[in-house]
This record gives sequence, structure tokens and C-alpha cells, in this order.
Amino acid sequence: MTDQRERLATHLFFKAALPVMKVVLEDDPVMARRFAGVSGVVQFYARDPEEPAAAYLKFTNGALEIVVGEAEGPDLTFWFPRIETMNNMLRGRPVLPVILGLVKPSDLKSPMKLAGRSAKRAILLGKVFSLLMSLKLMMPSARPTEPLKKWLKVKMAFYMVTTALSQYNKGGDPEMMAWTKKQPDRIYQITVDPGGIAAYVRVKGGHTKAGRGTYTRRRPFVHMRFNGVDGALAVLLKDVEFVEGVAKGCVRIEGSPEYAAQLNDFMQKIQSMLT
Amino acid sequence: MPLTGKELSALQQRAKKLRKDIVDTTVWAGGAHIGGANSIVDILNILYFKYARVDTKNPQWADRDRIIVSKGHAGVGVAAVLAEKGFYKKELLKTFNHFMSPFGMHLDCHRVPGLDVSTGSLGHGLAQGVGLAWGARFQGKDWKTFVILGDGECNEGSVWEAAMSASQFKLDNLITIVDRNGLMMDGTTEQVMGLEPFDKKWEAFGFKVRIIDGHDFTQLADALDFALENKGGPVVIIANTVKGKGVDFIENDVRWHYGSMDSALAKKAMESIDRMYE
Amino acid sequence: MSETTGTTWTCYDANTMTQAEIYGRVLCDIGAQRPDLIAMTADLEKSTKIGLFKDKFPERFVNVGIAEQNLFGVAAGVAKSGLLPVVSTMAVFTSMRALEQVRTDICYQNLNVKIIATHAGMSFGAAGTTHHCTEDLAIMRSLANMTVIAPADGIETANAVRAAIEWPGPVYIRIGRGFEPVLYDTEEYGFQIGKAVELHSGTDITLICCGITALQALEAAKMLKESDGLSVRVLNMHTIKPMDTEAVMKAVKETRRIVTFEDHNVFGGLGTAVADVIAASGKGCAFEKVGIPDTYCVVGYPEDLYTHYKLDANGIMDKVREVMGKDFEEDENWDDEV
Repeated sequence: MTDQRERLATHLFFKAALPVMKVVLEDDPVMARRFAGVSGVVQFYARDPEEPAAAYLKFTNGALEIVVGEAEGPDLTFWFPRIETMNNMLRGRPVLPVILGLVKPSDLKSPMKLAGRSAKRAILLGKVFSLLMSLKLMMPSARPTEPLKKWLKVKMAFYMVTTALSQYNKGGDPEMMAWTKKQPDRIYQITVDPGGIAAYVRVKGGHTKAGRGTYTRRRPFVHMRFNGVDGALAVLLKDVEFVEGVAKGCVRIEGSPEYAAQLNDFMQKIQSMLT
Repeated sequence: MPLTGKELSALQQRAKKLRKDIVDTTVWAGGAHIGGANSIVDILNILYFKYARVDTKNPQWADRDRIIVSKGHAGVGVAAVLAEKGFYKKELLKTFNHFMSPFGMHLDCHRVPGLDVSTGSLGHGLAQGVGLAWGARFQGKDWKTFVILGDGECNEGSVWEAAMSASQFKLDNLITIVDRNGLMMDGTTEQVMGLEPFDKKWEAFGFKVRIIDGHDFTQLADALDFALENKGGPVVIIANTVKGKGVDFIENDVRWHYGSMDSALAKKAMESIDRMYE
Repeated sequence: MSETTGTTWTCYDANTMTQAEIYGRVLCDIGAQRPDLIAMTADLEKSTKIGLFKDKFPERFVNVGIAEQNLFGVAAGVAKSGLLPVVSTMAVFTSMRALEQVRTDICYQNLNVKIIATHAGMSFGAAGTTHHCTEDLAIMRSLANMTVIAPADGIETANAVRAAIEWPGPVYIRIGRGFEPVLYDTEEYGFQIGKAVELHSGTDITLICCGITALQALEAAKMLKESDGLSVRVLNMHTIKPMDTEAVMKAVKETRRIVTFEDHNVFGGLGTAVADVIAASGKGCAFEKVGIPDTYCVVGYPEDLYTHYKLDANGIMDKVREVMGKDFEEDENWDDEV
């Protein structure tokens, strides 16, 4: 019987964390080159007596789509005996999946094609692993020094957290649902300037929607403005406490301080779930 | 400085005149706070004519000493003193209380030359005195601020808020005088809302206290000399007075907080004043 | 059990956190040019932000402790000594506890005292009614010689303070707690005491607002234009007294529908002041006032209270649609962008 919280964590990994790999594909030239023209389907599958959890990465000519659900005939599958095991791997703990699909029954008909397709899939595996590894950049312990990596970390972190907040609500966390239910139309905006990174969460009567960029139809209800990538990193890496960050100029909060604190509280809860 | 014989004599003569002016004005006004005016008039007399630096030709002179009569209902007394000082002619007092007169029960500093603050609602004067004294010191000026309170007025919490701050701000350029005539409208101060031990209260609030006879010019001069020389904090002079002093049939009578006089009664009043100064 | 969020803060931190409230810094700038400027408060240096002035000019700062009547009495005396006091405490204490001093010592004697009343309206929501002030506009309007201003945001407050210092006589400026959202992006929009600012042009209906409702009305107007095709005029009537009667009459003639919004009782404040003008003109005009409906407000964060009393953008939109007789439209898709 898998814990509800573990299922919620899976939901967040699938819906918020994995999609962040698209940022890496788009913005990291090395990764973009690596995946140029690549197509294939890589599935995550966790066995469970009641309801297995599954989602797959669909690469189409280098572009990535994440789909929740079981794939039909994936090229590769990362298979886990339990949902918790899969979650732990995604949390960055030393867990290795069982990799299925390097050799397929259909390949066995033709040994020559077997070699070719296996090799292709092995290459795909290698690339996908490297892409998955890029998610480690979001870990609290990751301290990049190179400017591009720093920028990526910040962008990934904020894209992930905004989606995660929305999915935390949609995924059914009771506290989050109660919080979103009583709010009229409000925008919680995060921007990093300079840096050009922006993401938001719109909250309205129980609904939530994560968005990229700056919401333009109305003023944000809470706006966290980070002073450049370094300011954002200082706060993300917990080099400064949030309020200390405000005093030091790493971040400014505009809007209701109580609601900013509540939002931060939810972000912490999510983070402890996913790491 | 102790009063010379000449100064004392001048004060006495003027005191008699002022008391008569107050009776006159009470008649012209159709009624006035004659009781409280007569208890305060000797204090006003010595302040305006010996101690306070004012300029009748320039009532707004920036470096003048300020005098706040916080017991603003003594307006009839203040008006008489300011006329006598020369800020305006005594004839003007004939319009007291009349339509659009510059003079009413409680005087308006915008309408009465020589008046520093519009008072009337009790409890406001000391706070303004604190502000003035603070402002003088801040600007490095040596003009003084005198505040005259009524004793019943000291029921007001705002008086004590101001007293606390006067002490906190160490305002030695603020001289507070209480016209302690012992009466209010509904009875004696001790019957209605007791002030005693009054001097202890002021001491507890950080004031140095002098208790004197408020009708004795020598004692008034001594106390004021002391207050003006004192450094480091505020001084209060509790001047024991008689409400209605000089008009024997109204002295110490609660009913004469406010009253009117016809010419017959006024004549009696004048005679009483004459007797006081024989 | 979550770990601490690191977003705990004390009232001492408030000074660094409130980007919205810049008047404290503006006061320091003015103070540098005006050696006669004295800042005063009653044990509320941090909450009112006037403490910023104290840090810079400690000798020009007077704190009387928790004694608001004394505060305003002393301010009157300071003004009379030839200086320029700027006094700040909470609106509820200014307009009620110390009202007699404000009226008799300051207004009646027409003294040059500038009052910055903070935490007005429901902006101190969680503190409850004892610290709310939904009556101050009504009270201050009724004092002769008093000029009454309710700035829309921190930037307008800075402009108002600057203007007030040059304006003759007593001035009452009422603001929130300092975390209010920012409406303007520049100080140079032509702020003038007594002149409303048109935030949005329109011809179907005019929304006359002050304080926090100005930004909310502007957002509402923009959304109504997009979704309902309505042409909504928004006037930021920052000065309640003297009222910009010309702007009101223009709105009457050109839009024929006026709704006022204020973080204040519907009786006696901005709405009543506007109604005075409309009624006296004898011209026909649909008119409604939105504010606190003559009640003592419930407890809550101010943002939630504004929603509750329909003073936020959504509430304003509802009201406009009601007045215009239109229906609400459901909106969009709720899928996350990934």
C-alpha cells in the first residue's frame, strides 16, 4: 500500500521536475547538440500492487515532451520494483533502475538489426542519463561556478517550483487546496533581474496555473524579485535566510508579507518531499 | 532679582487697576469668568510687567517670551492685562462677547494681539508649552515659555502626559505655574477630584516645586527667579490663590466661577477692591 | 513538519522590507534641505517608518511615548516656535484619541503641522477594530483648515509629503501599513494637491478611488476593457479635501455613471464628498459608493479584507458589471504551462 505522500511526490516529479529538463535542452548548447535530431521514447515505470506509476519522455527530433501514463512500446524503460524506489532515485539517492529495452524480443529475430538497434538504444540511454543528471543541478547541494550552469540552476529551480506549487494543489494536498480555495484571482510572481528569468503561479478559487514569464493582465499579489542570478542563488542555496536576503538586497518582496511567507512555507514542504 | 520698593508699589497699583478693569469687562461682556480671572491676575501682572520680554509694537517678535494661559477661561483677565500692557486700547474690551468681537470667553490668538496660544479647552496648554520650549532650545534661543494652569485643569490626563515629557526632555526653559485657587465648578478640587498631595505629584513627574502665595508679589518674584535660574529640568510654581480675590462677596465662592454683574453690583465690587488696597 | 522558512520577521525588519513605503526616505531627503523640519511620533518609529528620519537626524526627532494627545499638543507648540513638525502615528489615534488637539491646537490655530497617519482603513487587518480606522476621512474632512490626502501608493505618498511641506497650514495624509502594492512606476506624473489623476480613460462609467483602491480599480478597468469591451474611466482622487470638483463634474457629464471606492466607511468619506458635488450640481448621474458598509471590520490580513468588502479588482469588476447590467463570464484553461 503506497503512501499517499509518496504518490503525491511522484506526481510532482512527473509533472514539475522532469519537465524542467526541457529548459536544459533549450538553453544548454551542449545538451541541445547532443539531442539534435534525436527521437525516441523513454519510460519511467514503478510497479505497485494497486496502481503502478508511469510516465515517459518523448523525444521528437530533439524536442521533449513529458507524458504521464504508460507508453506503448517505449524504446527504453527505467523500471522500479516500488514507487518509493523510483522516487528515491529521482530524489538523487543512490538507486539504480532496472533498465529494460536494450534488447527487445523483436530484435532477436535479426541479430544484425539487434546489434544496430541495441547500439542506438544504448546511445539513447546514455544521452537520457546525461539529461537526467542535469536535474542534479537543482539539488540544494549543487554549487555551480560556471555562469551558464548558475543561470540554468536558477531557471530550472523557479520553473520547477512554480509548477510544483500548482501540481501540489492539483495533486490533492489538503493544506494547499484549502489555501488556494479561499483566494480570489491572485498572481504570485518570481523574477530574476538581471537574468531575464520569470515564472508565476496564478491562484483563483481552488484553481492554480503555473506560467512562464511575467503575467501581464494584472499586478502580482506577491512579487519576489531576485537581484540577478547570484542573488537568487544565495537564497536558493540557503547562504542567506530569506529575510536576511531582503536586508542584503538579494531579493525584494513586494506585496503581502504574510502570503509571501505562506508561499515560502509550501515551497519548503515541497522541497523536503522531493529531496 | 528681589523686588525693589518701587517695583512692588507699581505692581500693587496696577493690580488694583487690573481688578477694576476685569469688573468693567465683566459688565460689558454681560458675564465672565470673574472668579478665575481674579485669582490669576497677580501672576499675569508680574509676568507681563517684570519678567516676560515682549514687544507691544511687534507682538509676533520671534524671540519674545511665550506665555500660555492654559486655563483659557481666564480670558477676561488676560484681555485686561494685554490692554494694560499696551497691545491694544482698553476701549476694545467694550465689545467683549459681542458679535464678531476679537474678544470672547476664550481668546483667539489670531484676533488678540499679544496672545500666544488660543486656549479654552483645558489640558492643552502644557503640551504646547513643551513644544515651544523644545523648539526654543533646538533653535538655540533663550526665550522662555511660561504656562499657567488651573488646578482643576490638572485632572486632565493630557496635563500629565505633557509633564512627563517636560521632564523627559529636561526643559528648564519651561516655567509652569498652577493657579491653585482650590475651586472647580462642582465644588472644591478636593471634593470633586482630589489633587493632594499635589506637590508630590509634580515631584514624582520630575519637577522641582515651589509653593507660594499667588497674591504675594515678593513670593512670586522669588519663585520666578528660582525657576528662571534653575537648570536641568522643569519647575512648577504652585501658587495658592483665592478665586475672586479682591471682590469680597465672590471670594472663594464656587458659584462665582462665572457670573454677571449689573452696575449696582459692579459698584460694590469696585468698593471692595478699593478696600483691598487701602 | 516543515523546517523554518526563514521568512520570519520582526517589526524592526519592516523597515528594510517595505519597498512600497518610501516616504521615510523622502523625508530624509527633504530634511537635508529643510533644517527646520522636525519629525515626531508616539512610540511608533518603526511602524510608521518615520524612524528612518531619526537615524539620520537624531537631534531633530521627538518621541513622546504612548501619549498621542501630547504628541499633537507638543507638535502645535513646536510649530509655534517657528519650526516645521511632521508628525506620524496611527490613523485611529490621530483622528480620535488626539482629535481635539488636532482640531483645537492645530487646525483652529491654523498651524503648519503635517500629519502622516499610518495603518488607516483596514490596512492593519489582523489587529482588529481597535487599530482599524475607517472614520478618519469623514472626521478630518469636517475640520476647517485641514487638507486631506489619501495617496494610492508609496510613490504617491512621497509626492504628497513633498507637496504638503510646501502647502500652507495643516495637512492630513493617510496611508496603509507599508506593504501595499505599487501603482506608479515614476514620481513624475504631475502630482498636485487637489487635482485627481486619470489612471485610465473611458466613457461608459467612472470609478473614483483613493488609497489602495486606485490600483485595484485600474486593474479592473483594464480587464473589463479586454473581457467586456467596457470603457472605464478611473480617477485617483488622492485629495479628498479640497475635492477636484472639476474632475467629478467632467465624469458626470461625460460618463453619467460614477462609483466610488475607498478603504473607509461609506458614510462621510470620499464617496460622500463626491456625492456632495454631484448632488449640488443638480445633474443626473447614476451613483454608488463602495466601502466598509457602516460596520466594524472583521479580523484578517488586509488583502483578504479588501476581497471580502469587494474593494479589490475582482470586487470592483463585479460592481461595474452590476452597474452596467452585464453578466459575468467564466474564464480560461487551467492547464499548467510546462
